[in-house]
Amino acid sequence: MQVSVKWLHDYIDFTETAEELADKLTMAGIPVENVIRADEGLDKVVTGRIEKIEVHPDSDHMVITSMNVGAAEPVQIVTGAQNVREGQIVPVAMIGAKLPNGQKISKGKLRGVQSNGMLCSAEELKMDVTALPKEQTEGIYILPEDTPVGIPASSVLGLDDVVLEFELTANRGDCFSVLGLVREVAILTGNEPKWPVIKVNEDDAAKASDMIRIGIQAEDLCSRFSARVLKNVKIGPSPKWMQQRLEGAGIRAINNVVDVTNFVMVELGQPMHAYDYDQIAGHSLTARRAVEGENLHTLDDSERLARGNELVIADSEKPAGLAGVMGGQESEVTDSTTAIVLEAACFNGASIRRTSRACGLHSEASGRFERGTDVTATIRAIDRAAQLLQEMGACTVTQGVVDVYPVAKEPVHVTFTAEQINSRLGTEIPAERMIEILEKLYFKVSPQEGGVYSVEVPSWRNDVTFMEDLSEEIARIHGFDNIASTTPRGNVTQGGQKPLQAFADRVKLALSHMGMCEEVSFSFTSPEIFDKMELPEDSSLRKAIPIMNPLTDEFPLVRTTLLGSVLENAVRNLSRKNEDIKIYDVAPVFYPKALPLTELPREVVKVAGFMTGRRNPVGWSNDSAPIDFYDAKGIVEDLLEMLEISRYQVEAGEYTAMHPGKTALFKKGKEVIAAVGELHPKVAENFGITKKAYVFEMDLLTLLKYTVAKSSCTSLPRYPGISRDLAMLVDENVSAAEIERTISRNGGKFFAGVTLFDVYQGKQIAAGKKSMAFSIQFQSNDKTLTDAEADEGFQGILEAVQKEFDAELRG
Amino acid sequence: MEEKIEQLRQEAAKAVKQAVGSLGDLNDIRVKYLGKKGELTTILRGLGQLSKEDRPRIGQIVNDARQQLEQLIAEKNEELREAELKKRLASEKIDVTLPGRRAPRGHLHPLTMTLMEIKSIFMKMGFTVEVGPEIEKDYYNFEALNLPKDHPARDMQDSFYITEDILMRSQTSPVQARTMESHEPNSPIRMIAPGRVYRRDDYDATHSPMFTQVEGMVIDKGISLADLKGTLESFLKQIFDEKVKVRFRPSFFPFTEPSAEVDISCVMCKGKGCRVCKGTGWLEILGSGMIHPNVLRMSGYDPEKVSGFAFGMGVERIAMLRYGIDDLRLFYDNDLRFLKQFW
Repeated sequence: MQVSVKWLHDYIDFTETAEELADKLTMAGIPVENVIRADEGLDKVVTGRIEKIEVHPDSDHMVITSMNVGAAEPVQIVTGAQNVREGQIVPVAMIGAKLPNGQKISKGKLRGVQSNGMLCSAEELKMDVTALPKEQTEGIYILPEDTPVGIPASSVLGLDDVVLEFELTANRGDCFSVLGLVREVAILTGNEPKWPVIKVNEDDAAKASDMIRIGIQAEDLCSRFSARVLKNVKIGPSPKWMQQRLEGAGIRAINNVVDVTNFVMVELGQPMHAYDYDQIAGHSLTARRAVEGENLHTLDDSERLARGNELVIADSEKPAGLAGVMGGQESEVTDSTTAIVLEAACFNGASIRRTSRACGLHSEASGRFERGTDVTATIRAIDRAAQLLQEMGACTVTQGVVDVYPVAKEPVHVTFTAEQINSRLGTEIPAERMIEILEKLYFKVSPQEGGVYSVEVPSWRNDVTFMEDLSEEIARIHGFDNIASTTPRGNVTQGGQKPLQAFADRVKLALSHMGMCEEVSFSFTSPEIFDKMELPEDSSLRKAIPIMNPLTDEFPLVRTTLLGSVLENAVRNLSRKNEDIKIYDVAPVFYPKALPLTELPREVVKVAGFMTGRRNPVGWSNDSAPIDFYDAKGIVEDLLEMLEISRYQVEAGEYTAMHPGKTALFKKGKEVIAAVGELHPKVAENFGITKKAYVFEMDLLTLLKYTVAKSSCTSLPRYPGISRDLAMLVDENVSAAEIERTISRNGGKFFAGVTLFDVYQGKQIAAGKKSMAFSIQFQSNDKTLTDAEADEGFQGILEAVQKEFDAELRG
Repeated sequence: MEEKIEQLRQEAAKAVKQAVGSLGDLNDIRVKYLGKKGELTTILRGLGQLSKEDRPRIGQIVNDARQQLEQLIAEKNEELREAELKKRLASEKIDVTLPGRRAPRGHLHPLTMTLMEIKSIFMKMGFTVEVGPEIEKDYYNFEALNLPKDHPARDMQDSFYITEDILMRSQTSPVQARTMESHEPNSPIRMIAPGRVYRRDDYDATHSPMFTQVEGMVIDKGISLADLKGTLESFLKQIFDEKVKVRFRPSFFPFTEPSAEVDISCVMCKGKGCRVCKGTGWLEILGSGMIHPNVLRMSGYDPEKVSGFAFGMGVERIAMLRYGIDDLRLFYDNDLRFLKQFW
């Protein structure tokens, strides 16, 4: 919705500038998005008469003009335009002008001749050239002969208006009209509006009800249908003032009949339509549902087939218009029209919106119906339109209106007490002030017993049905700025997060602490990702939820794997030459219980990570060794330790997208709590990852289940311990975990811990064997250990590893 | 005898003074005069052969000379050590401008950092942090929020639907209804609900099909619009700047009445008007309002007994303003060169 300040001024006086008014309206809930000044850049453009034209000595396409701009001395200006003649009055940009197109006018010479300004074309003045006759768009814009010289050109060009562009909220359909806005301006400025007097002179003897029959067959979609018939119609242009008002509202002038219906729509907020009376088959108009497959031939000359639920206005043969959205082609008013039917109706907003969306047709009319119109306005609108056309001498008005209004709408009543409203707003506004505000907004307030007021809501305020709605009216006019800022009283509540939320934050902090970078990815995925991840055809992860209306074909599904998202982000980084990557994501995946979805899916929060590239940051003295499996595994071990999760087993195993020989599963009993491994070479190839990469995945809720709520601290040993080193050769297939387990079990009562400090295979070691070295600690809590006591434990270990692993002890 | 001692003393003192080489040279001098067989030591040892009268006097002279010499040697010793240390330090000089050896460092995503801060501010004000499903029932996403079937916000174009009745939530507001349902009717609530939401918007500098919202709700007896103002002003001053100006504009949301759009003075230009605030000096930052009676009623609360306010904000918008980020896609692009700029 946009409207010119001049149009507002037609009905109310105010001294505020457009900007001040815009600010007042915005702060009262009538948001003005833009203040558009048509005269911007025209402040140094004046009218001037061409007194003399001389030939340019050095140019055959330029001439030298002597301009009378109302000053004592004529001004010399050189122009290249071909359409200038002596005696014409034209717009002159003086020295210092900065035109709307950014052009600055300064003193200068053109081919050696002094030029002190510029004669302007319509385009240079940012006039709407599409609305001008062709000859006025080429060369200099020629003003009427009687234009005074030396006055601002903007005033004679109609460019002195200011337009307010509104971004109205969906509830305020009543403000989609000049009169609605005037009501708001009145209460905000304190000035009295001068409402237009609507008076129609039925000067034609014919009776409208004899000429046209109106009917409503779909009362749920059309609550009122009013019409007038005008005869002796003379189609022609509408008066200049009306064209200017419409232009300010962003509506192009067409002819007097169409312009009047548009004018009334913007003025009163009631959309209208004019039919060529002679083109209405059977001279009857009925609001009814379209029949499926019926042809809708709309004004934009496009053929549409009805889907069967649209509301149409039909004559006795066919739809003559898509109700509230667009008129029909056949009954359009043309230059040869001599009689018209003016329609003003009240349609169901939801139905209009559905139709307008389905057809992709959004019009000024449909926008107003969608937000709801005033059912009582139809008669005012047809009367006003008839009056305006009559005043132009463009018609005669037949007797009476034809009005179908099956169920008259009762006014809405709401009650309130000042205490209720003050309590909701946190204010102490007196009842008298509340009543004053409401009455100025045309609510009728009547006091009842016990401080209760009953309020009759004006017919145009479809948005007001509760006391709470009244509180908003009072608050916005009182001013939100005038309401204090307080802190909620009442019971003290204890703030805090849910355990899983707090735990997610803890996991993120831990991983970021360990050098991992957090990413956030979309919850969408696609079958291509599943293919790249080499998911088996029957994998449950392929059972992802399809989106009915995905944004693109790229992401038709809701993800079941977080690893897939992490891999995609890794690939994007690699393609941008970010080669050292340690990233992780903590986010939900979605497992449907059945497809299609009948109940909400299970949302499971996963932790997934990806690592590749160098272990250390690039530096002049840093080791540039690449990350390997044990770096990734170390991250998982560290994370579990930081989350106080212990006593798990680690086993070789298999996991989605991981190398089957390089995957470790962390388990609590049979439950896998974490998986870490090298990215499967096939998966890496599918994603285009050429370097070795490592991935891990965990389930947040499972981790939370095993985290120890309160960790305890062991005190430091008070007596020195003894450490013994054990180096041995074993078969290369023996796992470190197995040996460590055996050592722990056979170290005797003073055994305190074991650390693997060397693993070696290669030269000097027999094929199929590996060398391992452990440091074993012995410790007592109540005495200094003797060598003999440590040796006893150590001996037990030696025997056990020899027996169990056929270990060959080394020196 | 005295002369000899004096001669020795002077000779030794000169030698000490002239000793310029290493500490070893000085030691040689010490041995020569004060060592077991040193010249002054020898005289001291020979004292027994002197007459009784001379013995104490000569003894005194020798001891004085000896002490003097020791003192000189000690001083010289100190001097030489000092010089040697200086030399060593000079020779050990390194290029301290070479970059230090950095441990691998991780980073939190800027959205997580912003969200952690938002949560912490509200938790200090006594709010709990609630969660709800991201794939949600149409009822909770719309109907329970007083969004009747034909409201424009419900159009298929705006939300990702799974079925007619299930969609990817388009706002965090459904957590309002879920939280009320999980409480005794009319019992007080102060909560925020952060989370991902989904809208069918094209991916560009200011829109994304997935983004992050924080919903908030306070319900109790006598909660007013003034309380809403106070709470949100306090939050905005904490998350942005104590000096930030806050303005409340009447607006419209189906789930609140009255509704207010909340603006802050532009954090980029301090309200003077710039590209970010489109010259207005104000930035839209929050939607809020007094909870609509229908919304309370639908979730079992009685609008006659309690009232409340609700608000919602975009975490991306707050993060963009705090860090001066001009393209929302950077959050979801996850380019490490971007991510590594935070914490």
